[in-house]
Amino acid sequence: MIGEFSKSGVIIGLLSSGVRLSTPFLLASIGEMFSQRSGVYNLGVEGIMNLGAFISFFIALKTSNPYFGIFVTILIGLVMGLVTAFINVTMKAEQGISGIGIYFFGYGLSGLLFRLTLGSIVTTSGFEPLSIPILSKLPFIGEVFFNQNWMVYLALLLVPISYIILFRTTFGLKVRAVGENPHAADTLGVSVAKIRYICIVIGVVLAALAGSFLTIGQIEATFVDNIAAGRGFIAIALVYFGRWRPSGILWGSFLFSFIDALQLRIQVLGTKIPYEYAVMTPYVITILVLSFLAGRAKGPSALGKPFEREST
Amino acid sequence: MKKALMMLLVALLVVGLFVGCKPQEKPVEKVKIALILPSGRDDMAWSQGMYEGVMDVQKELGIDKIEVSVTENMPNPVDAGAALRDYANKGYNIIIAHGAQYQNPVFEVAKEFPLISFAYGTAFETGDNIFTYDPQAQDGAYLFGMLAAKLTKTKIVGIVGPVKAGDAIKYNYGFIQGVNATDTSIKVLESYTGSFGDTVKAKEMAIAHIEAGADILTGTAQQSVGAIQAVSERHVYWFSSDMDQSSLAPDSIIASQAYYWKDVVVYMIDSRNKGKLGGETIVLDFGNGRIKLVFNPKLKNLITPEIEKLFNDTFEKIKNGEIKVKLPE
Repeated sequence: MIGEFSKSGVIIGLLSSGVRLSTPFLLASIGEMFSQRSGVYNLGVEGIMNLGAFISFFIALKTSNPYFGIFVTILIGLVMGLVTAFINVTMKAEQGISGIGIYFFGYGLSGLLFRLTLGSIVTTSGFEPLSIPILSKLPFIGEVFFNQNWMVYLALLLVPISYIILFRTTFGLKVRAVGENPHAADTLGVSVAKIRYICIVIGVVLAALAGSFLTIGQIEATFVDNIAAGRGFIAIALVYFGRWRPSGILWGSFLFSFIDALQLRIQVLGTKIPYEYAVMTPYVITILVLSFLAGRAKGPSALGKPFEREST
Repeated sequence: MKKALMMLLVALLVVGLFVGCKPQEKPVEKVKIALILPSGRDDMAWSQGMYEGVMDVQKELGIDKIEVSVTENMPNPVDAGAALRDYANKGYNIIIAHGAQYQNPVFEVAKEFPLISFAYGTAFETGDNIFTYDPQAQDGAYLFGMLAAKLTKTKIVGIVGPVKAGDAIKYNYGFIQGVNATDTSIKVLESYTGSFGDTVKAKEMAIAHIEAGADILTGTAQQSVGAIQAVSERHVYWFSSDMDQSSLAPDSIIASQAYYWKDVVVYMIDSRNKGKLGGETIVLDFGNGRIKLVFNPKLKNLITPEIEKLFNDTFEKIKNGEIKVKLPE
């Protein structure tokens, strides 16, 4: 079996699969990171993913153009983001509860719309892989990273981009200030509400795009009820795993996804390990790594606390 | 005054009594069927098959004879238990909990409602008012394994399983036997996603099979929709189960093993009319026509006359019991 793995084709397949599996996590987690950095956690990611998955699939099916699907998904993401922000920032809702509400709303609405509009499982064409010239010819890395579709590139590019935004721009500084000490930020004239609105909207739009990847991010796109299958919740866990940093989220997503891709292949190549153990490994290892790294960093101080200007 | 009022009241009551007893037309014997499904009624697999079966019964016997209620997306047996009790309290006559995982709640609720028929499956353990059903998934799977062994060019075939339980075990076991009985040099890869519904994971698993060299795949449950995407993208072949799925990938799905639940539901209604509320395992197999293999006309050209003859012979042998496809212990 070790011999089978040493074949480069197998390893390339494994890594490509890991990159594909990590894409929805990266998109959703980086979005959630912005939201949490500004002090608001959104547990509704899973619901938004399901909704984004449906909307993008439906529009792609009806227009035969997956790019329209992405466009409409972003619009819906904006609307849902504003609604989420209104509930959490303006109405100062208990974030744990409102998040679950948003989850059920997205999950239920996607299933309902699917039934009302399509009523049965159908397929359409999603995005084809987009080989990046020169880079895709690189041995090994080319096949793994540069022969995917543009949504994968977007997810990977978001890591440095979000790092720069968060740590190298005034906006990023404001985001972090609002998440750590909203009162101080407020005194300095930063609009806490505005920053949180923007961050929540970024989070929801990216969660919706993560959903799109599950449907039209595949060459043969299809939608089934509850297609996110828990990925939205794992994405939230990965924000904690990544210590609210883009690089940490990248490693967390890769770790989880590569081990998942690996366990699929270990099963396929045939071992005596019961499949239940194989299926568990990504979760177990992620938890193990997390517990070893525990205590090194803490989340934004104002996370989960609605901002009250008058409060002491 | 008080007395007069009393008289009036009594008179009213008496009149009311007669009004209540006014000659009624004989009530139509309506059978009320409740269906509890683990996934959506449009999952293109296990749940949809049963849903369509029940709806066909309603269409055939008439909407005035059959009333149907459906509860979907109940993968959790505890939630399903609440739904079962709810339907029982509302006076449904036949309550079908469509999954092996519902065994415990079915037995619990059935004890309290001895006049209601319950049904669940794939299973064998019946009760006085509990039917079970048992599709012989391994039979068609055996034939598919045989066809796969004949058609594979890479000499590797794969099974993308959901959870190692119920229908999936029987199907996979049959498929492996079919392959081995035809050509022992062919390797069967077998793996499980650990989920009935995670299509995205099933797709990645199917890709892992294809990258390992498999050119014909098969699998069960609603997750198989994802695996079918992968075979369609990578231009290999697939054998379907549960229902005819060829519309999902007309260039890849060679054949489907489809369950015809209508007959099972009709059987339960007839049994009830004869006074038998349960206590029987209803088998679905080729012999009684409750399982059929549906070939995709678009890929019919793959089946050469030689393979077709082998298929027909083996089909007959399974039907008349000459070949007995084994089940796991």
